Amino acid sequence: MDLPINHNAPTIMHIDLDSCFATIEQQANPLLRGKPLVVAAYATPNGCVLSPSIEVKRFGVKTGMSVRDARLLCKGVIVRTPDPPKYRDVHMKFRAIFNDYSPNVSPRSIDEAIIDFTGTPYLKRGLVEIGNEIKKRMKQEIGEWIWCSIGIAPNRFLAKLGAGLKKPDGMVVITHENLMSIYAKIKLKDLHGINTKNEARLNINGIFTPTQFFKASENTLRSLVFKGIMGYYWYLRLRGWEIDAVDWDRKSFGQEYSLGKQTDDPEEISRILMKLCEKMGRRLRSAGSAAQGIHVACLYKDMTHWHRGKKVEQQLYTTPELYRKAQWLLNQQPERKVIRKLAVSCFDLMASKTPQMELFDVAVDKRRQVSDAMDKINDRYGEFVITPAIMLGMNDLVLDRIAFGNVKGIEELY
Amino acid sequence: MIQRVNEKISVITVYNHIKNSILPVQVRWHGRIYHIKKLGYHHKVRMGRTMLHIFSVCDDSLALKLQFNSDTLEWMLEEVSDGLTD
Repeated sequence: MDLPINHNAPTIMHIDLDSCFATIEQQANPLLRGKPLVVAAYATPNGCVLSPSIEVKRFGVKTGMSVRDARLLCKGVIVRTPDPPKYRDVHMKFRAIFNDYSPNVSPRSIDEAIIDFTGTPYLKRGLVEIGNEIKKRMKQEIGEWIWCSIGIAPNRFLAKLGAGLKKPDGMVVITHENLMSIYAKIKLKDLHGINTKNEARLNINGIFTPTQFFKASENTLRSLVFKGIMGYYWYLRLRGWEIDAVDWDRKSFGQEYSLGKQTDDPEEISRILMKLCEKMGRRLRSAGSAAQGIHVACLYKDMTHWHRGKKVEQQLYTTPELYRKAQWLLNQQPERKVIRKLAVSCFDLMASKTPQMELFDVAVDKRRQVSDAMDKINDRYGEFVITPAIMLGMNDLVLDRIAFGNVKGIEELY
Repeated sequence: MIQRVNEKISVITVYNHIKNSILPVQVRWHGRIYHIKKLGYHHKVRMGRTMLHIFSVCDDSLALKLQFNSDTLEWMLEEVSDGLTD
């Protein structure tokens, strides 16, 4: 039997800060307001544009472009590098506003959050009125230049779709009444989760529009298109039924770094790897965890990549333990090429507790105590006050960055 | 154009007990006085246990990023910017 569209009243609100980093820079510096601005990873020509302002988007500048291309499209564009503490502060402020309306607030990234109003008294006032109030409060409590787009719908997927339909400063409500007319106006790739690969997957099964995607049977999506449970999830999602209300536990900690100066020098790469392991280790230990797996990935200058992960028997807790295993993996590269991006992560997390005593290596506990003491010094006096000697002179390398997506652990910084 | 400065400066501030807010109103840097017209944003950053208050302010033609160290009570001018392209 075909499942009908969800006819329940919308209870989910998706809020998305428009051109987040660029807008925050314009808020902080009023002289930048109304001007074409990009926030880029680096201000150099090859630097990647992370956030174009609303003004520069009109020239066709998009996230992911190089600064060089942005300058070609818009000659007078102003380039700024990111200021992560400022963006995190804005994130915490807008989360505080959302928490006034519902206990169920799920941040989705530094600039997005979902409020589930199910069971709250605010539903009686109407979510459009609440949405307008939130927009007003964001301007009053964060800054008058802060804009956000809001989507209201019966499930998270449609709420996100709604938030993306009218930018900037829009508000779109999706219900069973207008769902089909919205699907008729958009493309497959406008649906969150449909990337180039999924689009091709749909295309080879004769699905070229969201309306056709909606009309495809559950069996078609499950057995032919996605070949698994994902097909069923899409079938539900497209009809407004909730399938994405899942908050995933942390499964790994990772750091990555796009090298400002690309190199194949093993000594330099080892230094960067150590700093990545130190940053990752600090987060791992502050979460009270240890890991039993480690993974290293390299993106080379020629855009090929290599990666390797390994589970290990001993618990990895201190930075030297993580670094030793990561270096061991890195040494297994089939050939040394110029590295463009280096990433390290640890997985198979467990609560850190005193490990089982080793027969021959009796200093494990002492090493942990030294590591904890070093962490305490850095907590007291600031990050990297005390570091392994290999990291000396690396203050300007592996800068603080905002990760795309996940914002777990952001509260720990405050 | 943006310029990193990181120099100690003199600042006059106003504290409003009703709003519980503090606002830098005048900055003296290299013998010149800047009258602050607008506070763009205020946020806090932790450096170890020390709390730093960052004030992004501007006069008519120059934006200043000021840092107040709540431990040492020092004011630093972190950067200046004229809001124009490099």
